[in-house]
Amino acid sequence: MSRIAKIALGVLVLLLIAFPLLVNPYTVQVGITTITYSMLGLAFAFSMRVGLPRLDIGAWWGVGGYTTALLMKTGMSFWLTALIGGIIAVILGFLLFSIALPRGMMAFFIFCMVLSMAFYQMFGSVPLFGGWGGILDVPAPTIGSFTFINKPELYYMGLFFLALTLVVYYLLYNSKIGRAWAAISSSLKLARSVGIGVVRYRMANVLIGNFFIALAGSFFVAYYRAAIPTIFSFQAGAIVMVYLIIGGFMHFLTGPILGALIATFIPEFVSRFKGYIEYQSIAIAVIVILILMFLPLGILGWVDQRVKPWLYRRKWYWRISRWGVKEEREIPA
Amino acid sequence: MSVGLFFQLLANGLMSGGMYALVASGLTLTLGVLKIFNFAQGQFFMLGAFVTFAVAEALGLPYPVAILAALISMAILGVVMYFGIIQQVMTNFFSSMMATIFFAMIISQGSLLTFASQERAIPPVFPGTLNLGEVSLNWGKLLVIGCAIVVMVALYYFMRTKIGTAMLAAAESSDVASLQGINAKQIFWVTMAVGCGLSGIAGAIIAPAMGAYLMMGTNVFMRALLVLMVGGMGSMSGALIAGFLVGIVESFAFQFVGYLNLIVILVLVGALMFFRPGGLLGKPLPVPGE
Repeated sequence: MSRIAKIALGVLVLLLIAFPLLVNPYTVQVGITTITYSMLGLAFAFSMRVGLPRLDIGAWWGVGGYTTALLMKTGMSFWLTALIGGIIAVILGFLLFSIALPRGMMAFFIFCMVLSMAFYQMFGSVPLFGGWGGILDVPAPTIGSFTFINKPELYYMGLFFLALTLVVYYLLYNSKIGRAWAAISSSLKLARSVGIGVVRYRMANVLIGNFFIALAGSFFVAYYRAAIPTIFSFQAGAIVMVYLIIGGFMHFLTGPILGALIATFIPEFVSRFKGYIEYQSIAIAVIVILILMFLPLGILGWVDQRVKPWLYRRKWYWRISRWGVKEEREIPA
Repeated sequence: MSVGLFFQLLANGLMSGGMYALVASGLTLTLGVLKIFNFAQGQFFMLGAFVTFAVAEALGLPYPVAILAALISMAILGVVMYFGIIQQVMTNFFSSMMATIFFAMIISQGSLLTFASQERAIPPVFPGTLNLGEVSLNWGKLLVIGCAIVVMVALYYFMRTKIGTAMLAAAESSDVASLQGINAKQIFWVTMAVGCGLSGIAGAIIAPAMGAYLMMGTNVFMRALLVLMVGGMGSMSGALIAGFLVGIVESFAFQFVGYLNLIVILVLVGALMFFRPGGLLGKPLPVPGE
């Protein structure tokens, strides 16, 4: 890593930490939403790594959220409920996916869709989950005698979860299992021919994804202090795909985060115009279709294809990017 | 359970099952030929019902004209969708899927803002009921079932014509079909027209029995997906049989467990997938992207 990249990363981390001190509380709230959606988008990208577009994010998000809401009502600590929610999502996921996953991508895809809608119905109509009104007045999470009740504290908690997710995903992508996933995503037949058990690797992927989606659900309920079925609907899980499309397909860690930033902050600022809110989803849909048609690899893919070659032809770029790099590298043509 | 209730539920199941079968066969046709998953199919269904309302109620034309209008307008909309969007994104299965999802979103939100904000009722074509001892059935429901069967037979004969055979050939392999002198580009938009037209006509058929409302598209589309899974993807006859099967199971499950019937269907479909992965009739499908 060059010195300039280290500096940029440091500045970014400092900015993220100082964010609640610099802006008004409302923007902090938008930031918390962005963090949650980034976690969901990361999980979606995570399953795209094995060639499975999953539409059941709303369901597992709800499993985490409802576990936290129900158990915190009985007085359990938040951190324990988040863990239990994740474990429940993994076990339930294993039971359900062991039917659908061996049947290939298409069957898995449809199964997930129906699963998400069925879970939504279940959250709404089973009395244990509080009906369509949901579970309200969930207590605030605590650590020792400290209570996470203000927006900045919750923001830091979310940042911690996001960082945890990022670190785990990064380590997994760069491990042996991650290389097997990359092989599966590039060609299923090739992966099979070199002896990769596709179903087993895919199962590992979706179950790890389940755990972190449920974690995001627990965090969201701790922030929102309520679990309502409409939050965890199928549409809420499906909208997560937008982030990956905007950010870029081939960037599994940075793409969803960039996409979530753009897709959460821009609507928030545009929504101040009058009469806009009805047309918001139409505007988003039109933009997404245009991106799919003319920018099929997303913004980061466009940077890779167009901006980077332009930069590589500039001398000053090489001077900056090689600042602080010890060994002499050959400049690629 | 009394005999009357049994036949009521059976008629309800056959009615909605016919709709599922029509939408699912359109879906499986597009999936087979274009190798894309058209998520806007449900919205076409909803638009078909509204077109029927507009033609039959607002313009006052007879009901068969309304059915024809729904079929033709949805077919044209499907062709427009093909040339406007799908042609550009067809190469990548995932992007084509996303594009149709968001096109469906544009349609549903756009119609919510313009004409679909309230439920529209269309008066029944044949009022009254059929009474056979204990059993009493609504003529409207029987008409829906009859129309659905007529459309299915028409579809069967359409697939036997030259263009239908060309479609099936393109579904096998579009490259080899081109080698035989079939214009694959032309087959693509014709397939979109047929698939979307099927959804439109299904909406037109159901409109007098259930009215026209915004959520009907999403509801039918989700069941059509289940039908696809039960019947086996890429199998037209499987989709038709499975459509009626899912409709009947849903109708009876609704009687006993209420709105949790979706979970009953999910469990049944899961069990079916476990024991018969290729669906009831289908062979294991050639899945795009795998």
